[in-house]
Amino acid sequence: MKKKINVVLHNVLLAVLAVIWLVPIVWLVVTSFSAYTGMNTSTFFPENWSINNYKNLLFSADTVSQFPNWFKNTFLIACATCVISSCFILMVAYATSCMRFKARKPLMNLGIILNLFPGVLPMIAVYFILRTFNLTNSHLGLVLVYSASSGLGYLIAKGFLDTVPASLREAAYLDGASEATTFWRVVMPMSRPIIVYTVISSFLVPWMDFVFSKMILNSGISSQWTVAIGLYNMLEKSLINTYFTQFCAGGVLVSIPISVLFIIMQKFYVEGITGGSVKG
Amino acid sequence: MSKVMTGIGGFFRSIGCFFRDFGEAVAKGDVFVKLSLVWMGAGYFKRKQYIKALLMTLFEVLILYYTFAFAMDYVPKFGTLGTVQQESVFNMETMQNEFNDYDHSFLILLFSLFSFVVWAIGIVVWLRNIIHVYELQKRAEKNLHINTFREDIAEYKNHKFHITLLTLPVLGILFFTVIPLLVLILVAFTNYDQQHMPPSALFTWTGLTNFKNLFGMGGMTITFGYAFGRILIWTLVWAFFATLTTYIGGILLSLLINSKKTKLPKMWRTLFVVTIAVPQFVSLLLVRNFFADNGIVNTICANIGLTGWLRDVGLIRTSYIPFLSAPGWAHVMIILINIWVGVPYQMLIATGVLMNIPSEQLESARIDGATPAQVFRHITMPYMLFVTGPALVTDFVKNINNFNVIYLLTESVFTTTNQALANSQAKEVDLLVTWLFRLTQDNYNYKMASAIGIMVFIICAIFTLFTFNKMIKGDREEAFR
Amino acid sequence: MKKKLIAALTAGAMAAMSLGMGASAEVQDVSLTVWGAEEDQAMLQEMINSFEEQYGEYANFTIQLGVESESTAKDTILTDIQAAADVFAFASDQLPDLVKAGALQSLDELDPAIQNYAGKSLDDIKNANVSGSVEAATYDGTMYAFPMSADNGFFLFYDSSVLSEEDVASWDSLLAAAEAAGKKVGMTLSSGWYNASFFYGAGFTTGLNDDGTTSIDWNGTSADGYTGVQVVQSMLGITGHGSFLSVADGDISNQIASGDLCAAVSGTWDATAAQKAFGDGYAATKLPTFTLNGEQVQQGSVAGFKLIGVNAYSQNAGWAALLAEWLTNEENQAIRFEQREIGPSNIAVSESSEVSENLAIAALAEQSAYGVVQSVGTNYWDPTATFGEMIAQGQLSADDEAGIQEALDTMVAGVTAPVE
Repeated sequence: MKKKINVVLHNVLLAVLAVIWLVPIVWLVVTSFSAYTGMNTSTFFPENWSINNYKNLLFSADTVSQFPNWFKNTFLIACATCVISSCFILMVAYATSCMRFKARKPLMNLGIILNLFPGVLPMIAVYFILRTFNLTNSHLGLVLVYSASSGLGYLIAKGFLDTVPASLREAAYLDGASEATTFWRVVMPMSRPIIVYTVISSFLVPWMDFVFSKMILNSGISSQWTVAIGLYNMLEKSLINTYFTQFCAGGVLVSIPISVLFIIMQKFYVEGITGGSVKG
Repeated sequence: MSKVMTGIGGFFRSIGCFFRDFGEAVAKGDVFVKLSLVWMGAGYFKRKQYIKALLMTLFEVLILYYTFAFAMDYVPKFGTLGTVQQESVFNMETMQNEFNDYDHSFLILLFSLFSFVVWAIGIVVWLRNIIHVYELQKRAEKNLHINTFREDIAEYKNHKFHITLLTLPVLGILFFTVIPLLVLILVAFTNYDQQHMPPSALFTWTGLTNFKNLFGMGGMTITFGYAFGRILIWTLVWAFFATLTTYIGGILLSLLINSKKTKLPKMWRTLFVVTIAVPQFVSLLLVRNFFADNGIVNTICANIGLTGWLRDVGLIRTSYIPFLSAPGWAHVMIILINIWVGVPYQMLIATGVLMNIPSEQLESARIDGATPAQVFRHITMPYMLFVTGPALVTDFVKNINNFNVIYLLTESVFTTTNQALANSQAKEVDLLVTWLFRLTQDNYNYKMASAIGIMVFIICAIFTLFTFNKMIKGDREEAFR
Repeated sequence: MKKKLIAALTAGAMAAMSLGMGASAEVQDVSLTVWGAEEDQAMLQEMINSFEEQYGEYANFTIQLGVESESTAKDTILTDIQAAADVFAFASDQLPDLVKAGALQSLDELDPAIQNYAGKSLDDIKNANVSGSVEAATYDGTMYAFPMSADNGFFLFYDSSVLSEEDVASWDSLLAAAEAAGKKVGMTLSSGWYNASFFYGAGFTTGLNDDGTTSIDWNGTSADGYTGVQVVQSMLGITGHGSFLSVADGDISNQIASGDLCAAVSGTWDATAAQKAFGDGYAATKLPTFTLNGEQVQQGSVAGFKLIGVNAYSQNAGWAALLAEWLTNEENQAIRFEQREIGPSNIAVSESSEVSENLAIAALAEQSAYGVVQSVGTNYWDPTATFGEMIAQGQLSADDEAGIQEALDTMVAGVTAPVE
């Protein structure tokens, strides 16, 4: 009996925590269905319900709200970023984990040093480099910003590859396989969790960033924006009263696909981070 | 520490060897090796590696072209960062402004550095080229096989595969991280601020002035030193608590979810994961409005009488609870909200690690009659620390530079009432990195922002050096295999 | 020497121009970008279309319209002036910073071009707009922008079903009446834009020096003989009242919409929110008087304007200026008022019957007699915002004159700090 109470209490505790964690999310969702366009500060649930926010967001684009365009832009940028970043990260991870060469240690130390600088510091210089090549206000420029330095984020992937038994590779070398073949045919097929993890996490970067994108897409033409700048802009002082609930609706719409990716990813996240130690 | 020293020593030794090889190559090389000093393709040409000769020649031509067609416009001005002020005259006929050939200090700085990097690459390639050509000569003298181009390419798929793998990512990092960082590091030694903004004005070198101001030694910005101290303390306090709370919270939550008593653990985990799937700029901006002075939480607190009670007790003086707008409150709230954001991530990581605790250990402890608390203290926690220790260090550094949480929660909501901070455009809740960001965005004070950025780096570097060396003793990466 | 030569050449070219006007058969291609507020986009597009029609014979225009809020224009422009739009709208308080960064084209230099094509001189334009707006568009004797609207100032919205005209005459009666009705009066104090109104009312001043530093005299005695301490004491008297609600900068429209307020200090941008909240009782008037050293003193305000300027780095500065002029001319200011109820700076438009019947704009005009063109540097904002917040949170006590004086001194030190 006591054990049963214990189990109930245990689950109640979890439920309480889950509620605390979900309150703001619930508020986001219910506010997105509010008929009032500004921020409701007197009641938790909206007084009048409506799906107009979604309708406006999706079907009647105005100069402030161009959600379909933003979504498309962000999606394309995310796809390109995802391909380049994932390749870079896996390439660096393989080279540093599975190969031994003279510059390996210095390069890895350099990587650690670079990660110690605040990321927003060199923003203005990155901007001028892009402008020199006429890449500001272009999605290509943004893709470069997100993916060019992505090699620095190789540590987690390297940690995974470190746990792939070296004997497998050695066997491949004995069979006369080249390093490239080993990379493609032996190591990569074994690294599904970390590949999925890398792909999804680099896909998510453009959906989350608002600092770099705001600086680089600075022509003021709102149809070129990404979701993050567009939604962030809706909270401008002069707009918040008309667009707050649309902001919430936009937030919900963005979160749905990301949530799905995250739910897929959590399994690989766990496996990828802890690497082969799962295999014992 | 000693490991670092030997590392540095080894580095210099290998550079020494490199130059010795180069010297030997130049001294003992034949005419074509010596000719390679001027025409980089010469040595290959002699050994009939025509494609390689062509590529090297092309490389040389490109570097020379870059130097004379582009770099020479900027590099000679590096010492002064430009002297010609912008001027323009309106031309009535074309309806356009006509500009003089003015200098842009920032572009001079940027392209000079860019050129230095390009030249450094060029010189290294040039040196290696001589050594390589000399090796070819030696092989030829000994009548050994000289690779064809096809064989050379094959090398890049095998022993030199790391070069194939690393070239693009390293170039990316070089141009999008290293060069921009170097530029901004140099800006800390200039007077690049609102009074000296290119293109209309020039800026120039000022030595260590900015650092003197930062440490309160400059007469004019006395409060900068004070603000720096205040913000540094909060940055460290924040990084400590943010790292610790989410770390422990994550472990506890994952223990809770993965306990045998939990019904439907997958569902619970998914619920928590959903909260991190909402992009931070949405969730944090929302939470900020949630806890605003006139926001919904305040309305509820006022309705249930909490606000009145707090005022009676003397904890607040305002008619609302200043969750995010008064120093003490905001500090605590920010850490709490960060727990909300950070714990689910840590929970996922902890779940993975916990699943790998050797189950025999847990079983035997249980058979010995250990309580769950004892198991946690003596088995679970040491194991967690062993596996995730290094990650804890990187998390601490990441939190020192945690821009999003602080910026999204406090920007344009928090007004400081500390006049000394206000006089240097800082707030109590700023981290060094958000202060730096606002200095560039609102005040165009790039020189001070850069100086602060360098300080952030030094702090992180000292911290990392001490802890990392303690935690990752030796080549742990090999230990797994 | 070189400069003189160019000047001579230009003069020559100009002479040739006036002789051979229209003879040049070649029509040049001109592409321009314009930045305007989010809410104005559709209207701006119409104005651009009419501009293209008007000037189509001189050039082939390709004009692109982008979004940049007038209140944040400076931040975006100064990040990279050369990438900014050719023509942009901005709030007048940003003008000094923009001029000093060299972002704004001197219009005096373009006067001949404007005369040539638009058929009016810069002086005509200056005369057509209210003097305050011209003053706000001028820096060091040079005109840098065209006045677009005169409504970037604040006044008092109130609910006439709760408050009478006598009630809103002074802060004392206003707060007393609000208390009786169980409602609140909202104002933003944590901004040097709003809280300066009390000091301006008492005769204090602010100014901008050539080296970019700000001058401010709030810690001394004003021309009207009041001390800064007395002003702060009056402000504390107002903020300490139970019916006063200090509102965070930018949050006032939310507060009006919430229905807790019966009066609020704000500007025309909140007219719709106020109309909705107060319904039939919607009314607006000048700011109240406040009790200062036992006397009633009219609260001052910041006379703010919205301007349209030309990027000094524009590829087509001349045509950009003509477009900027077009967007701010009499007809288009009238359209602005018709479509968006934006208060015109053009005298003829503001005298039209529709405009003078608009409650908010009438109140603004009434307040403008006490308005000051606020010209300050970057170091002004943070210290004054903090000072206002200290008053709002009651961190200063009216009895502690030494404490108030010290706080004022610290604020002044921060505002006047050298910008190096």
